[in-house]
Amino acid sequence: MFFQQLFNGITIGATYSLVAVGFSIVYSVLELVNFAHGSFYVLAGYLILTMYSFMVLPYPIALLASLIVTSLFGAAMNKFLLEPIRKKTSSGESVMTATLGVSTFILNLIMVLYGSETKPFPNPMDLGKFYVGSVIMKWNQVIIAIAAIVMIIIMSMIIYKTKVGSGMRAIAQDVSAAKLMGVNTELVITFAFFSGILCAAIAGILVAMYYGSVDTTMYLGVSMKTFAASLLGGIGSLPGAALGGIIIGVLEAFVAGYVSADWKDCIAFVVLILVLLFRPSGLFGHKEIKKV
Amino acid sequence: MAYLQVENLQVNYGAIKAVQGVSFQVEKGEIVTLIGANGAGKTSIMNTVAGLIKPAGGSVIFDGKEITGHKAYNIVKSGLTLCPEGRKIFPRFTTYENLKMGGYTSSSEAVSRGIERAAELFPRLKERFDQVAGTLSGGEQQMLAVGRALMSEPKLLMLDEPSLGLAPIVVQELFECFTRINKDGTTILLVEQNASMALDISDRGYVVENGKINISGTGKELADNEKVKEAYLGGM
Repeated sequence: MFFQQLFNGITIGATYSLVAVGFSIVYSVLELVNFAHGSFYVLAGYLILTMYSFMVLPYPIALLASLIVTSLFGAAMNKFLLEPIRKKTSSGESVMTATLGVSTFILNLIMVLYGSETKPFPNPMDLGKFYVGSVIMKWNQVIIAIAAIVMIIIMSMIIYKTKVGSGMRAIAQDVSAAKLMGVNTELVITFAFFSGILCAAIAGILVAMYYGSVDTTMYLGVSMKTFAASLLGGIGSLPGAALGGIIIGVLEAFVAGYVSADWKDCIAFVVLILVLLFRPSGLFGHKEIKKV
Repeated sequence: MAYLQVENLQVNYGAIKAVQGVSFQVEKGEIVTLIGANGAGKTSIMNTVAGLIKPAGGSVIFDGKEITGHKAYNIVKSGLTLCPEGRKIFPRFTTYENLKMGGYTSSSEAVSRGIERAAELFPRLKERFDQVAGTLSGGEQQMLAVGRALMSEPKLLMLDEPSLGLAPIVVQELFECFTRINKDGTTILLVEQNASMALDISDRGYVVENGKINISGTGKELADNEKVKEAYLGGM
C-alpha cells in the first residue's frame, strides 16, 4: 500500500512538477503570475482531440502539432497582448489581469466548441502493467513520469546552460541591465513564454492520457496545484517547483489511499496555506530583500 | 563629424521635459565629462544614447552611423556600452557570471580576453570570482560593473556616476583605471557629480543644467571657470 501510493504519487506529481516548472520559468523572468498557464494545459489536450479524433491525423503528428500550436499561442499571447500592455504601463497587475482574460477566453472557447462535458481522450499506447514486489506499475505511468522528468531536465539545461537561458536569468534580476548587456529582452521573454507553456502543454497531454479524459474543469485543479507546488518550492525557483510538484503528488496519493479520495484535492490547499503561514519563501526561495 | 555626435537631443517623461535639446560631441580617444547637479538630466542623456529610453527628438550619430532610438542590444553591438548609474550588477550571479553576461554579444575568445583583462585591471575582483555579486562591497561592485561593461570590448564606454557612494580612496583607484582604459584605446564619456575628480582626467567637459548644456570647455577651462567652481567644485 505505502509503496503503491508512493509510486502513484510520484507519477502524477511529476506532471505537476512539469506544469509548475513551466509556470516558474515565466514567473522568474517577469514576476508574473500567469493565470492562463493552466488553460494552455487544457487546450493542448483538446487540440489533440480535434486533430486525432476529428481530423484523423496520425497520433504522433497530432501530438506534435498540438504542442507546437499551444506553445506558439502562448508566445503570441505575450507578443501581441502582454508586451504592448507592459510598454504602456509598469503595473504588473494589468498584465496579470490580462492573463486571466486569456484563460477565460480559452476555456469558454473550448466549451463553445466542445461542450462542457468530459470527453474521452484517446491513448493509443495502452501497454499493460508489471509488478515490482507487490506494487502494480502501469507502463503508461512509467512513461508519463519519465517524459515529465526528461522534459524538466531539458528545461533546466536550457535555463542554466544556454545563452538564451542566461539571458532569462539576467532579465529576472534586472531587465535594463540585461538590455545593456546586449540581450534582446523582448525576444527572450517571448521564448520564456513559449518554453514555459510547452511544459504546460506536455503535462496536460500526459495527464489526459493518464486519466483517459479531458474537460475544462481540469483548469482550476491544475492551477491550484501549480500555485501550491511553486510556493512550496519557493516561487520562481525551478528546482523548487519540480520538488514541490512531486511532494504535492505524493501527499495527494497518500490522502487518497489512507484517508479518502474525496479529500485528495484538498491537500494542495492545505499545503498552500501552511506554506504561506510558516515559510512564505518556500523550500528553495531566496529571501526577498527589497532595497529602498 | 565627431565620433559620437549628439544633436538637439530631447527626452520627455510624460509631460516632464527632462532633456531639452542637448548637443555635444566626443572625439575618438577622448575622455569627455558631463557634470551637473542631481536631476539635471545627465542620466536621461546617457540612457537615451544607450538605447534604454526613446528620445522625443534629436539625433545620435556614432562612428558615422545614425543610432537614434535604436534598441539597446543593437547599440551594444555597434560598440557603445553603458555602465549604468547604481551599478546594476546581477546580484544572484557570481562575479564571474556577471562578467560573462557582459560578453553576451561577444565571441568566446573575446569573453576569455575580457575576463583576463578584468582580472588584470581589478586584481581584487579576481579573488572574488566565485562570490555571489550581491555580497560584494560597493567598490567591488563598481569595479565589477566597469569590468562587465568592458566585456563587450566597446569602442566608446559610457560611465554613469561611477563614484556614487564610494570611499575617496576607491574613487581614486577607479579613476586611475579609467585613464588606463582610455590609454588602451577606449573613448570614454563620463557623467559625474564628483566634478573636480572627473574634470581632472577629462579632455573636455560640458555642464548640464535643467536639461540643457550651458557651459563647455576643456577639463582645465571648466575647472577654472568661476561659475563652475562655485556651483560644482565647492567654491575652491
